Amino acid sequence: MKRKLVSVVLATTMLATMVTGCGGKDNSSADGAAGTEKSDDSGSNGGASGDAVTLKVYSNLPDRNNGQGLVEQMIIDDYMEENPNVTIEVEALDEEAYKTKFKAYSMEGMPDVVSIWGQPSFLDEVLDAGVLAELNEADYADYGFLDGSLEGFKKDGKLYGLPRNTDVAVFYYNQKIFDDNGWSVPETYDDLLALAGPIKDAGLIPVAMDGGDGWPMAVYLSDLMFKITGDYHQTALDALANADFSDPAFTEATQLMKDAADAGLFQNGYDSQDYGTAMNLFTNGQAAMFYMGSWETSMATNEDIPEEVRENIRVFTMPVVKDGKATATDIEAWNGGGYAVSANSEVKDEAIKFLNYMYQPDKLSKYGWENGVGMSAQDQSAYMTGDETELQKQIVDIVSQSTKVSGTTINDLGPAAFKTAIESQIQGVSNGTITIDEFLTGIADSVK
Amino acid sequence: MTKLYSNKKVIAILVLPGLLLFLFAILAPICLSVYYGFTDYSGMGKATWVGLKNYQELFKDEVFWISLRNSLFLAIGFICIQHPLAIIVAAVLDKLGGWGEGFFRCVFFIPNVISVAVIAYLWKFIYNPDFGLLNNVIKMFGGKGDINWFSSENAIWAVLVVLIWHGFGWGMLIYYTGIKNIDPTLYEAAEIDGATKAQAFLRITLPLMKPVIQVNVTMAFISALKQMETVYLLTNGGPNNRTQFTANYLYQQAFKAFRYGYGNAIGVVFIIICLLATVFLNWVFEERNGFKFGRAKA
Repeated sequence: MKRKLVSVVLATTMLATMVTGCGGKDNSSADGAAGTEKSDDSGSNGGASGDAVTLKVYSNLPDRNNGQGLVEQMIIDDYMEENPNVTIEVEALDEEAYKTKFKAYSMEGMPDVVSIWGQPSFLDEVLDAGVLAELNEADYADYGFLDGSLEGFKKDGKLYGLPRNTDVAVFYYNQKIFDDNGWSVPETYDDLLALAGPIKDAGLIPVAMDGGDGWPMAVYLSDLMFKITGDYHQTALDALANADFSDPAFTEATQLMKDAADAGLFQNGYDSQDYGTAMNLFTNGQAAMFYMGSWETSMATNEDIPEEVRENIRVFTMPVVKDGKATATDIEAWNGGGYAVSANSEVKDEAIKFLNYMYQPDKLSKYGWENGVGMSAQDQSAYMTGDETELQKQIVDIVSQSTKVSGTTINDLGPAAFKTAIESQIQGVSNGTITIDEFLTGIADSVK
Repeated sequence: MTKLYSNKKVIAILVLPGLLLFLFAILAPICLSVYYGFTDYSGMGKATWVGLKNYQELFKDEVFWISLRNSLFLAIGFICIQHPLAIIVAAVLDKLGGWGEGFFRCVFFIPNVISVAVIAYLWKFIYNPDFGLLNNVIKMFGGKGDINWFSSENAIWAVLVVLIWHGFGWGMLIYYTGIKNIDPTLYEAAEIDGATKAQAFLRITLPLMKPVIQVNVTMAFISALKQMETVYLLTNGGPNNRTQFTANYLYQQAFKAFRYGYGNAIGVVFIIICLLATVFLNWVFEERNGFKFGRAKA
């Protein structure tokens, strides 16, 4: 009797769990359906009546209180204030997690507005999958986009996204340390390498390098390649197309990068240290220089960095190399991150409207400038107040006085498999575990 | 009662949830994985059938073999270093008694309780060549203290130490539970017969622990092959894939390099290796069991 009772109770519990389990699912799908219904309504009514619209924004900027993420959030808040019928839901993940989930979304339906990278290593596969909506380029004629900044976001002449920043590869240096020791900003690459000795003798690290991630080294290599060739774009594309990196410029650039590592220009163990660790070496005053992109300009206003370091940060770009074709004002710069609209968005019109709103000159550019997040991809000169930090002014000068820009870095010019290969093998070639020839054939193999 | 259980419908209803879960959460993904392993799927868009191309490439892929070698290294490290130590520590703990037993049990288990992310960053700082704890200790003893622990030569050992240290508490706890289950009268009898502590350990503890050891070693072996998160956070396979592990390489190829098809091919080979390893380990233990017990009976 007792056993029978127990088994009946067990069976009932199980059934109950199953029923509630299914019930739960039913509920959630009902919610989902209701959600879509709502947006369907607004879509069919064309938004003219001001029906409620929910826009989903998927962003790679998880920090909503600082830097670029703050700028993005400010614009979203502005938009919701001006359009009370629109609710914007943000989902933000950092870069790697972002890219992984982006793929999952590409199968089950993208959020309406997404962050993208205007580089073949990211965009090729994405555009092949056809998940991004085509934009009308003519609409953006008076948005003040810098020359060539839209190129990376195009395929077969059609535009699929808009760039957010102009990124420049620079050496940040601590001017006080330089002055105190009588060092001067290097004019040539040899001068730079010659600095390694005295800086190390002074008990400091010459250049803090984030070698653990691979991509900053690849930017460094591209930077050298640009100084040697004066224009590597076609050379690199040809090399990728033919899976042949035997062009002597590649060997020379790799050798120059290796020279720097051999001369001890980078910190001990640079090839396994991450972004944060490398940057801390510089912001703590343990390193005299830090090789990174112009997006770190906000270091100058970051209260967490000791004042004597923060106020003395200045920049210079990669010095010229011997017999190189590029001049000192030819810079390694590109337009990386940006935004796009999902091709299958149910509220595509509203999404494009919001995208265009973000790129109104007084939004991304102005807010970005005021928050010191670096250069936008649009003309920012109208927003100069004169109160900018020395560092910001220097970056502006570097860009405005540049005679030529490199465009996308080499690691981002090929497919993602190439990017993965070059960013890990570059660690091996710089620390000497593989030869330059092995490196160049190794990266060629990844595109065969 | 028996009527209820012999009713086919009842059986079907009771088995169904488990069966469905198995079908859709385990079997279907494995089948899909095998399918994608034969395609050039990038994770988005369309998948094209490419036959055995992924597998051909895999067998020539140097990084895959390095990663597999590292995974096996780790398995050997677990079995030859971590587990013998864990058994000995468990046996000593068992004899310790009092507050010390509980205290040290906790201390040894702490690394398992801390999140992997914290563990990885903790060790990153310990190993840092410029301001790390390890180099500072060396400096304290008059050394130069500028060793790059993550250099191409050292990195794999540095990673192994972390992994062995991290998994230690888990293995020890299971052994400890096993030892606690051994009938204490056996030790009493052995003591009366004049057996030393070492003899009691070798002749009583170890043989009676065999099933526990078997389970534990099999689990350690599989966890070594599956190792991903600590390595991902510690070195992400660098420098230049020297510390690459199979599971991490699979992730890198499938999700970072947009080669979902190739990643799945790695996954399939990986499942086969895990299965073979499990079968092999079972075989090893079975043979031993039969042999020992056979002799004991004779």
